[in-house]
Amino acid sequence: MIGWYEANIVLIEATFLNFLLALSIQVPLRVGVFSFAGVGSYGLGAYTAAILTIRYDVPAFVAIGAAVVFAAVVGYLFSLIVARLNGLYLAMATIAFVLIISVLATNGGELTGGANGLYGALSDLTTGGVVAVCVVVAFLLALTERGPLRRRIEAVREDPELSMSMGIGVVTVRQLAFTVSGALGACAGAMNALLRTTVSPEEINFHLIVLALTMVIIGGSRSWMGAFIGAVIFTWLPSMLATTGRWQDVVYGLIIILAAIFMPTGLLGLVQSLYQKLRGRSRTAAPAEPPAEEAVEERAMLQALSGESKEGVR
Amino acid sequence: MEILINAVTLGSLYLLFALGMSVAWGTIGILNFAHGSTFMFSAMVAYYTVQMVALPMWAMILLGAAVGMVLSVLTQALIFNFILRRNPDLLKAEMQIVVGGIGAASVLLAIAQHYTKSVPFGFSASTFKTTTYQLGAIHISNVQLVILVAAFGLAGLAAWWLKSARAGLALRAIGVNPEVASLMGVDRGRMALGTMAAAGALAGTAGILLTYYLGSIAAETGDSFLISAFAAIILGGIGSVIGVVVGSMILALAETLVVTQLSGTWASAVAFGLIFVVLLFLPRGIFGRKEVRRT
Repeated sequence: MIGWYEANIVLIEATFLNFLLALSIQVPLRVGVFSFAGVGSYGLGAYTAAILTIRYDVPAFVAIGAAVVFAAVVGYLFSLIVARLNGLYLAMATIAFVLIISVLATNGGELTGGANGLYGALSDLTTGGVVAVCVVVAFLLALTERGPLRRRIEAVREDPELSMSMGIGVVTVRQLAFTVSGALGACAGAMNALLRTTVSPEEINFHLIVLALTMVIIGGSRSWMGAFIGAVIFTWLPSMLATTGRWQDVVYGLIIILAAIFMPTGLLGLVQSLYQKLRGRSRTAAPAEPPAEEAVEERAMLQALSGESKEGVR
Repeated sequence: MEILINAVTLGSLYLLFALGMSVAWGTIGILNFAHGSTFMFSAMVAYYTVQMVALPMWAMILLGAAVGMVLSVLTQALIFNFILRRNPDLLKAEMQIVVGGIGAASVLLAIAQHYTKSVPFGFSASTFKTTTYQLGAIHISNVQLVILVAAFGLAGLAAWWLKSARAGLALRAIGVNPEVASLMGVDRGRMALGTMAAAGALAGTAGILLTYYLGSIAAETGDSFLISAFAAIILGGIGSVIGVVVGSMILALAETLVVTQLSGTWASAVAFGLIFVVLLFLPRGIFGRKEVRRT
């Protein structure tokens, strides 16, 4: 076990970093915003942490904290700029944002080390620290996936106009999503830069966007667990497929295609519906079949929505 | 002047590539991420063919268009149709279609990288020879002429067909409202296959012409073209033919100017900065229609 851990330490760390990166795409998706700005924040965070560590030799948590705050502020300002955009137009604007950051890093001169990037960002960040941050993040996100907060988020995603008329601050929720996405992306980028001690502009490219999106869609886009499943799959799949030899990348692509066709709600959604089906079957013996969980939730959501605005209506 | 000709040539290549993608996206609602790989794969198949038989240019273009068409129809029939069948709501299936396209793209790219070992390939074995004509102050090569004629001819044809032909009307009807179009007797499946076939053929043509123009391309060229085409489509407005023409030209002109006047490393920043600025002031692109579908 310890031998296995030692041998795969890089992959284990990468799993958690990919998890955070996937979350930075998933958080905006959950409120119905198609934004890849989190990948740009990944770059911002990586450079901020590396520059602080190399130049001022600050402790790891200061470097990461500064990166997170900086990227969160940038994410908030970015959300003000793109407030008018929607759907895939917004997606394109955020892709442009990511690629511009990469070009800025390439042309940053001494500060960013140009096309070679930065080397020697040695710090005291440990694997345990990475895992601890991930656990805290997952816990905080889990809190947003239950109770009234979850219903609000789902209402904003499914019908922004309706939720606005119900008194939910859609604009605020969206700005918050951009800010959180920036913080999460920067956290992943900063920790990656400190663990690998290097950062280069080539890391922040279109493929990173594609990877983040694929992880979220295949894992499941509704819950942090989906992002985690996606991160585990796409971090470990390439090394597992190494045994298939020369056709590794072909098999990888085929798996993505099959997942897109047969798992429209992601792996997490598939597992959840299987679980519900099993539970439903054991209950069919009872004469009055209880309504499916989804329907109950939907009713609760409607009730909550109407309850929140009742005073305004009457 | 030289710069302008080069920019227009590059713009025409973007146009050929992005035209089919934009029409498919704006009408049948399919954003095909495998378009870039289709484009590159067609050029690669043509390369291996020309190594065996020295073909003239027109045969190469036909071959590329045929390969692109077959690949695109296969992607539609084997991936997108299955996704839509399992998830009939197009808006919900949109993400699945994007991811399915990404999967198809990585399969094609992996096959191409396997055979070419990521080494750039070109059509030096073809019977076609590049010559340059002098028209007053303008130098223009025969490859550039072919590209310009092909791009503007095909874009004009597409615009006319969409506007005037009965099938074009049906296709636009799907773009406005798929359900009502089906009720009016439009066969959505057949129209989708036809659109994807045309889009694939355009991508294949663009792949062959780009390879002739640059001398050689690599397996990874498809990816960078995909991003540029995506940008050109958004810039012009989804689904509009004139929008793709204008978007491609603006993008190519901006990129060429930056590469020649500034430095090469800034090219993409200025191109994407431009897109960013345009989107801020015109959130649906230059020629975008207002709210065709809810997104």
